[in-house]
Amino acid sequence: MEDRSTTGSWRNKLGFWKWAIASVLFRLILTYFSKNLNLSSRPEVSTPLTSLRRLAEGYWLKQLSMSPYSGSMYHGSPLLLSILGPLTVKKIGGLSSELLCSLVSVVADFISAILIRATGTSLVRAHLRNWKSLGLDKLSKGNEVVPSGDIAALVYLWNPFTIVSCIGFNTSAIENMFVVMSLYGASAGLVPLAAFGWVVSSHLSLYPIVLVIPVVFLLGYGLDAPPRKLFALSNLQGGEKRSTDHAELNSLNDKFSKTNFSWWRVIIFFLWASVWTSYVLIMCVISMKEYGGLGEMFKRTYGFILAIEDLSPNIGVLWYFFAEVFDFFRNFFLIVFHVNILFMILPLAIRLNHRPCFLAFVYLAVSSMLKSYPSVGDSALYLSLLVLFVNELAEMQFTFFLFCGYVGISLLSPVMHNLWIWRGTGNANFYFATAIGYACFQIILVVESVSAMLNHDRKIRKLCNKV
Amino acid sequence: MAEVSAVVKPKPRPIIRIGLFLISHSLFVSIVCCIAGVLALLLLPVLAKNTYISENALMPGSASAMLSSDDASDGHVFLNKIMSISSMSKNSGIEIPELIAKHITESGGEVNYHKFQPLSDSFHPLQFFVGPDAGIVQDNYSSTSYGVNTVGIVRAPRGDGKEAIIIVTPYNSVKPTTSEALSLGVAYSVFTLLSRVSWLAKDIIWVAADSRHGEHAAVAAWLRDYYTLSSGDLEHEVTSVKREGVSNGFRRAGTMAAALVIKVADSSTGFEKDGLKIYAEASNGQMPNLDLINIDNYLAVHGQGLQVRVEKIWSLLDSWWLYSLGELQELIGKVAKSLNPGWKFGIPASDYVEGCATLASSLYNQALGVPTGPHGAFRDYQVDAITLEFSPRFSSSQRVLFLLHVGRLVEGVIRSVNNLLEKFHQSFFLYLMTSPSRFVSVGIYMIAFALLIAPLPLAAAALFSDASKSKSPGESIPTSPAWNWLYAAKTVLIVHLWGAIVTIIPYLLHQSPDSSPLTSLSMWIASSAILLFFTRAASGSLPFSRASQLQTSEWTLLKAVTVATAFIGLCLMSVINYATAEIGALLLVPMCLMAVPLRADLKAKTMKAVVRGACNLLLVFVGFPPAAFLLSKVALAGFDRVRLDDFWNWTESLREWNSATYIYICMVHLPCWVLCIHILLHRR
Repeated sequence: MEDRSTTGSWRNKLGFWKWAIASVLFRLILTYFSKNLNLSSRPEVSTPLTSLRRLAEGYWLKQLSMSPYSGSMYHGSPLLLSILGPLTVKKIGGLSSELLCSLVSVVADFISAILIRATGTSLVRAHLRNWKSLGLDKLSKGNEVVPSGDIAALVYLWNPFTIVSCIGFNTSAIENMFVVMSLYGASAGLVPLAAFGWVVSSHLSLYPIVLVIPVVFLLGYGLDAPPRKLFALSNLQGGEKRSTDHAELNSLNDKFSKTNFSWWRVIIFFLWASVWTSYVLIMCVISMKEYGGLGEMFKRTYGFILAIEDLSPNIGVLWYFFAEVFDFFRNFFLIVFHVNILFMILPLAIRLNHRPCFLAFVYLAVSSMLKSYPSVGDSALYLSLLVLFVNELAEMQFTFFLFCGYVGISLLSPVMHNLWIWRGTGNANFYFATAIGYACFQIILVVESVSAMLNHDRKIRKLCNKV
Repeated sequence: MAEVSAVVKPKPRPIIRIGLFLISHSLFVSIVCCIAGVLALLLLPVLAKNTYISENALMPGSASAMLSSDDASDGHVFLNKIMSISSMSKNSGIEIPELIAKHITESGGEVNYHKFQPLSDSFHPLQFFVGPDAGIVQDNYSSTSYGVNTVGIVRAPRGDGKEAIIIVTPYNSVKPTTSEALSLGVAYSVFTLLSRVSWLAKDIIWVAADSRHGEHAAVAAWLRDYYTLSSGDLEHEVTSVKREGVSNGFRRAGTMAAALVIKVADSSTGFEKDGLKIYAEASNGQMPNLDLINIDNYLAVHGQGLQVRVEKIWSLLDSWWLYSLGELQELIGKVAKSLNPGWKFGIPASDYVEGCATLASSLYNQALGVPTGPHGAFRDYQVDAITLEFSPRFSSSQRVLFLLHVGRLVEGVIRSVNNLLEKFHQSFFLYLMTSPSRFVSVGIYMIAFALLIAPLPLAAAALFSDASKSKSPGESIPTSPAWNWLYAAKTVLIVHLWGAIVTIIPYLLHQSPDSSPLTSLSMWIASSAILLFFTRAASGSLPFSRASQLQTSEWTLLKAVTVATAFIGLCLMSVINYATAEIGALLLVPMCLMAVPLRADLKAKTMKAVVRGACNLLLVFVGFPPAAFLLSKVALAGFDRVRLDDFWNWTESLREWNSATYIYICMVHLPCWVLCIHILLHRR
């Protein structure tokens, strides 16, 4: 295994398990002090959708045999209510009830990190294999291949955003886990797992529904690779030059045949997805039986997400806009903003269809930018997915600028909020300014990473032509 | 901060082209911006505007004052009674509150006593990010010395009881001085008048705050109890109805519209008129709405003929360089006026110097982040409040006249605030005063700051693009050029984490009492230095660590990251407390921009290099926080008055008042200073 030896030196230096366990311990320590930090009331951390405080409220309403959705407090899934609800009232030995829920978040974060690592490992393996099959492995002797999976997992575990949202008493860690699970399932070829992750994450927060495209590409074409016509090209050239080496040629032919879309797995995926969907819906029907059924659930969860009913400030830009807009334009702009996400799906899917994992990152970043109730947990997810492509994005521009921007905004935004809400010397515009700044940095991140990825593909094509 | 985009792309976008142009001339632009920033700061007194009353509803002075000389003489009688109690040999501290309570009930107000204990200091470094604590009040009356605030309330005949105006008179209940008694007399005469008038639309609360444990502590304790609902509230309400007269239950009125703290200075003014000094700075440079100061100033000057002053730094008044600057700007103003009569800028040189001294004091007080009086406690609850310190012309005679003037002023201010329909919101919250009737608003003073820190991102971008261009090919950097700043960022992050630990050390030192300030200071410095050494040693074990490579690779990257973090820190601080950021930027910006390894300068042995090295050493010396503090003290107070442990006491007071300046010094300034030294000592 050649890839093992090249990445081995890095891997030893990194000490993944040491740092992963350290991060879990760090989280546990912070969890103990979470009451003092009072992160659960921060608008950046917990949104109306993800807040566990609201979930506890919904659970109480349900215990009193009222609809959990009455009073516009809870807007999450009824299944989460049944699973996490009992945890919000249970106390262990005088410790606060938040502790148990935070433990769930810690476990979810850890699982996500492991899955990201596994995805990254297979991505690196695919990367090396592709370079070899294109005959570029001799050119790339100079630069080592970085074990991006390990780094991405560590970035996920040690990202302040992840840590804050993990101990901030909300469900975004769990939502992220299902998103990562579907990506891992698709990249490892575990179709039922991919379908399960996709269905549950879409059920929990609606936006991951767009991930169906990358998942289908992943299942159909396989992992991220250079553009497929390059394989065809190099296959021909390689066939002429190295015709003596039959074994290698055969393997290359295998590769070439693999670039065909395998409909079979996609059909299985959709079958599984429908199985899981019906399963989830039946569970929802059972738990919502006495409170208005599925219609009520759809209205109060997805309707709440799409209609942007809660205009309390958050790090997104929509709350301010819809607080200002006249009521008779409201529906029009709702459509405009949501279609914005949908508009980007198709062009991106066409341009990046050979790199489905990266496509998933782009979708997640775009949707976390245009989401109705974004939180830092979403950023945590796409930032660590970005690190998965550290080998491909080596030439990315503005990295330092973006880093400074993210650090600056994430410090400035709470200060502006403090100035507005607690000190009274600022106003909503102060806080919204940081939200706009944050959105701009996200846009720059997406634009630069996509263009860096396309440049990388161009570079490969040039190298192939040389070879 | 465009990086190397032009090298890769054939046609960069126009905005990137502008960025590249600025970056390629970053040295020139930096120098111009820095000088312009300092100049703009010095020009602020010239750019100051006259204050005006922005809220129409206030209508100051539109009604004639109702306070008669009878009320004033009532106040005088009250004053004499307090003085007679204070001259009694045995005084347990409850007689005066009883006397005040009796008089309040006689004039028709409601009374209650508020017992409190001063809180022990607590340190909340995160309060600027998170917001105030959720009101954790510990009832822990262990020791016997509590203070007793006497609170009187007049219910407004025309109001709905939802709003209130506060008058605060701090006094020492055990041994009140004559001036404290005078302030009580003023408050009493106004209070009796207000209990009779028919125009009152907001309740009046008179807090006679017991200043045995400090004025601020008393007011803060009362406010804390006013705003936190304790469980005993309801039962007190029931019992207080049964008993006649004074109740121990906590009485409340509505939300506070404004608060006035009335004090009388001990010393008389040297002027012909009675004086009024306005203090407005609350914690962390927060100011009350400018309208509140405006109506005070307007009524005092035009209504009662008082001499109004705000604080200024006296030693600046007779500095020759400031005066010559003032003359220069006056001359320029005259020349400009002769060219075009429409151009009016330039103020008389003496006004300029006075404005500068006031501005400097305003900046310093805001930068300290320590409130200048009991009014500071109100700002923590978003209530606009100021302290009015009157200084009588004569020390003993004509007190009734003094009471009449001051009482009418207070009445007029209350009447104006009474007219308010909403919270104060029309006028400015962010401003600096250059005289009682002139101010610099945020839009103008931000220019000076923005010019001063504009070179930082430019320098960072320039250094960054230099570093990525001049990378020697032989060096094997494991990741790509786009990510090689990560090593420098790691160093910077570690130093800033070290800064966070340094912030906490004095809190730990504080736990062990009876150590002299000097030993505490030296322990603080020594432990910080040891910790820095250890963190440097321990940082080698982190992943991504290439200590050997970092030393051989360019220091420019490290400087770029340092400059960028300094920029972020200063921007952040300018939002929390502008004055700190401005003063900090004056020290930090030149230091960060100049830093170049000394070895390179020594090797070069040119005149320019030697001068640069000397400048670096000087800046680093001045940039060390204790050195900067002591030097400024020497400059203002003279050499003989300065002691080394002043610095410890100063930081201690900042810490106790939860000042953002303390956090800034430890978590932004100090790490940047250490990083600059790191760059200076870099092995090239």
